[in-house]
Amino acid sequence: MKSSAVATYKEWSAYRSHMLLSLVVGPVFFLVQSSIWKAVFQGRELVNGLSLEQMLTYFAAATLIYYLIMDFADWNLQMLIRTGKFITFIIRPMSHWFFAFSQKVGHRVLGLFFEFLPVYLMFLFLFKIPLIPVYPLWFLLSISLSFIMMFQINYCVGIIGFWLVQAEGIRRVFLIFRDILAGAFLPLSFFPELFQKILFFLPFQFISYVPLRVFMGNYELAGFEMSIPSIVGIQALAVLAMTGITTLLWKLGIKRFTGVGV
Amino acid sequence: MSESIITVRNLNKTYTTYERGSSFKDSVKSLFVRKPLKVEAVKNISFEIQKGEICGFLGPNGAGKSTTLKILTGILFPTHGEVNILGYVPWKQRREYVARIGAVFGQKSQLLWDIPPADAFELNRAIYNIPRDRFKKNLAAMVELLDVGEVMGKPTRVLSLGERMKCEFIIAMLHDPEIVFLDEPTIGLDVVAKEKIRGFVKEMNQKGTTFILTTHDLDDVESLARQIILINHGEIIFNDPIEKLSRFFGCKKKINLQTDRSQIDFQLPGLKSLDRRNDTHGNYELDLDILPLKAFLAQADEILCIKDMSIEEIPIESVITALYETKKPED
Amino acid sequence: MIKSAFAVYIQGIKTAIASRMAYRTDYFIGITVMLIWEMVVPMVVFLIYRSGVAFPNWNIYEVLLIQGIFMIAKGISYPCFFGIVWNTIVRVQEGTFDLLLIKPRSALFMALVTGFDAEDLGKLLGGGVLTGICLANLPPANLAQWLNMFIYFILGQGVMFSFAVIMAGTGIKWVGNFRLYEIFDSVTAFGIYPQSIFAKPIRIIISYIIPIAMIGAFPASILLGKPVPQLGWVSLGVAGFLTLSLFYWRRMLASYTSAGG
Repeated sequence: MKSSAVATYKEWSAYRSHMLLSLVVGPVFFLVQSSIWKAVFQGRELVNGLSLEQMLTYFAAATLIYYLIMDFADWNLQMLIRTGKFITFIIRPMSHWFFAFSQKVGHRVLGLFFEFLPVYLMFLFLFKIPLIPVYPLWFLLSISLSFIMMFQINYCVGIIGFWLVQAEGIRRVFLIFRDILAGAFLPLSFFPELFQKILFFLPFQFISYVPLRVFMGNYELAGFEMSIPSIVGIQALAVLAMTGITTLLWKLGIKRFTGVGV
Repeated sequence: MSESIITVRNLNKTYTTYERGSSFKDSVKSLFVRKPLKVEAVKNISFEIQKGEICGFLGPNGAGKSTTLKILTGILFPTHGEVNILGYVPWKQRREYVARIGAVFGQKSQLLWDIPPADAFELNRAIYNIPRDRFKKNLAAMVELLDVGEVMGKPTRVLSLGERMKCEFIIAMLHDPEIVFLDEPTIGLDVVAKEKIRGFVKEMNQKGTTFILTTHDLDDVESLARQIILINHGEIIFNDPIEKLSRFFGCKKKINLQTDRSQIDFQLPGLKSLDRRNDTHGNYELDLDILPLKAFLAQADEILCIKDMSIEEIPIESVITALYETKKPED
Repeated sequence: MIKSAFAVYIQGIKTAIASRMAYRTDYFIGITVMLIWEMVVPMVVFLIYRSGVAFPNWNIYEVLLIQGIFMIAKGISYPCFFGIVWNTIVRVQEGTFDLLLIKPRSALFMALVTGFDAEDLGKLLGGGVLTGICLANLPPANLAQWLNMFIYFILGQGVMFSFAVIMAGTGIKWVGNFRLYEIFDSVTAFGIYPQSIFAKPIRIIISYIIPIAMIGAFPASILLGKPVPQLGWVSLGVAGFLTLSLFYWRRMLASYTSAGG
């Protein structure tokens, strides 16, 4: 684990300058967001149960959380399958998903220094948004779980590549829905009531929305209010369930890969 | 005699890259500071190429060949030095200049993967603004020569490598270029395709096109090139007609010798043992300047009693390998 | 000369469409994915308005009209010339950028000719539908408004072109960086909402200096009868931005041709 994480760290440090783009893109998007919400909140205290301050915290934290948990596991696995390079992983002693997870760890350590920290400081000093979680330990637990959740969901999308040769279109559609349904563009409480109820039973809220609400110190979706320990508990159960699904899909995928032959 | 159409004087190209360490600590460090590394790719080279020539441009990987070629085709600026081709300075009058040259890159395709070569030809007709009738005439002639009439209308992706490379040549020559640069044009091709392409180059050369050829395939060089420029470590180490190449290290022959008696203690001045199959059968390199052939035959027969033998020229590979390995040959 | 350049461009479009048609299913999936992606922002606006709040003095159709026109602007510029960005990035990465330099045309023109992207025509379709829906729900504009909006829209295309040139130029130096598109998306996010929500300094920048408001916000405001900056000043801004972008491209190209390797 350590060696592949370190190797990825080194490989990506060649592209560290690409990460610097995040220092522009993140704050610029946030500036737009904050202008939108300041306009919308004119003459109002609360919108959908959130104050302006909470709303800005939501979007700033969403930006930062993304730097901590994002990965390209879906793209990477599909690319390996499509180009035939995946075969080299069948003969390695380490399973590919473990390798990919180590890669993610290495990559995100880099992201922590070159995306998360500078943007955090920009939010703090430029936009005066003090981002301190209400319950730091619960938040740490929740963000670790969403780190795993994000990986598993993306990896499952990658596994689809075993069945579909041209899975790129599906992958891209899925990414859009993943981000919408995880609450990256808008808090999920803005969605229609029925929609929220469905979302409650999908894995996506555990990627961004749950850690964001844990960060803010209160959780609410589809009218359910829940204490922080219980939602993190549910998140842990969801990660466990997702592990089962990923393992199952992985086994089926490998069977298909070796069955069909190369 | 004939006029030179390419004149290069004191060409020099230096560029900067950055060092990146290999250890974890180095890569952390490189996040903050990068150590610049000056690379002198081409060091003061000068040469001339005559009109109607086929010139082989040789050198090991990283010798400065492709940098030179890029400068000659107007892609790169040199650090300093003069280049005059067809009366142009390539990097200064790029657009006017490249209208009169052509180029084939063995590793970079000018065809379009999903559509037939015919469409790519049409695009190039527009780019070079070739009059319709001249385009038709040139295309027909080259299609005939290269025998690609059938594949022109098929998507490029279904063509064989050889067919594709032939089409690359057509693209490069549709606009009647006076000079054509070939960068590893036969890489990966089978023998038949190579022969066809070599035949084409010879044919076009007879019609007056000058070719500059870089390649690692010495068969290309032997069958095509008349002039050879050898470059290593950014410097020219050989620039002469190909016939002189085999005599570069003096006048030598390769001798295969079978004898009645054992060759184990056989030694003569000017004779170098290369390898030995068994006691009575071995290969030698003979320096004729030290030991003339006649004297060698007499002595060898007397000492060993010759049963059978063959005498060959030193193969061009050995000469070039030796040249690549020398840092700076004595003149 | 102009006639011949146009002939080359038409030939480039023909080959690009022929290439794209080789994978028809893929093409239509691509268009669908793109349309879904383009609909995210309008959907967010819809959800905000649905929750009972609004941008002051703008109803939802007025806001969506900006985004519809912006999408049309992308639907024209992305296929026609924005392809220079990915084309340059891919070519520099693969080393085939050199092939553009051995042609007797300017490198930028060659990048344009070989960079036509038929897939992005889908944006035109999406933008057309969205704009149509909004216009049907808004009071009609008069002929003078339409003409005026057309002038601003064309200038907006000039801004798109300048942006494309700057990104492509950056792609020459910054090898393999497809994330450059994120910069474009983030900066143009200022141009797809009513300008009145932004602070004064931001408004000045996006009207005159990096005039992205010209792409969608101003043309829409004209149709809606809302005030926009005077044509003289904004066209000066667009001209400045365009000049700057071409100058930047030249600098980057010069650094490419003087690099080695």
